[in-house]
Amino acid sequence: MSYRSLRPADIEVFSEAISHFFATATSDPAQVRSAYVIERGDPILWNDYNGVINVDGGFAGCVAFSAPRSLLSHVLLRMGEQDFTDEKHRDIVGEIANILSGRARRHFGEGLSISTPAAFCGRDNAVTPRARSTPYAIPFRWHGYDADLVVHLDVLA
Amino acid sequence: MNRLLIVDDSLVMRSRIARLCASGAVGGIEIAGQAANGLEAIEVARRITPDCVTMDLTMPEMDGEACIAELAGLLPEARILVVSALSDKATALRAIKKGAHGFVHKPFSDAQLAAALKELMQ
Repeated sequence: MSYRSLRPADIEVFSEAISHFFATATSDPAQVRSAYVIERGDPILWNDYNGVINVDGGFAGCVAFSAPRSLLSHVLLRMGEQDFTDEKHRDIVGEIANILSGRARRHFGEGLSISTPAAFCGRDNAVTPRARSTPYAIPFRWHGYDADLVVHLDVLA
Repeated sequence: MNRLLIVDDSLVMRSRIARLCASGAVGGIEIAGQAANGLEAIEVARRITPDCVTMDLTMPEMDGEACIAELAGLLPEARILVVSALSDKATALRAIKKGAHGFVHKPFSDAQLAAALKELMQ
């Protein structure tokens, strides 16, 4: 099987998913910036909390939502949560990764088979690259907090 | 009063749906139980016999599609609303074929979910 790298139209799908999530779930839009290439050797996850979705089917790789605790606390607050435990932060970072990946199926179709989320705190070497192509980070700002969606995917050609 | 079973592997999502129902925004509904995966949902459903169910699809142990098929046989009167991030049409159609009665995409606003739950109970 041969795989291709992501194209600009593929990456745009994930940028749109970020905008849609914050506009719908919190009623406040996020400012999504241009995606950039993560250089080889640089960590692909670097924030306080990371939610990782492994992808299969006609794809190989992962989609990861990487955010500071303060952003996640604010999202939880906007969703009506009143306690802000570590468990809730890990839960919401994984759920956001799941929601952003799930929305990408509008573009990629059901062939984009997504796993249940794995969520953890801080940098973790356990995230083994499963794609050969270049990882992209899509940075955005919401309520003054900076976070990233990392897309590291090979697409079956 | 309609008795609701909430099935989702996300604690935050289960809490959000439960809060919305408790707020009175839906009306005529009470939370009868919650489950974090399909297997647990079937066990809880046997015990509480819900009138309606909100069902996530991507879950560990047993996913939502398999659970819908089981519940459709176990509780044919129960009405099932899929609440999932999976946004492709094929998935929605397959869930409806297996026995779901409606579909709400995540992320959702409170108003969107309340409207879908009201429609489910009609």
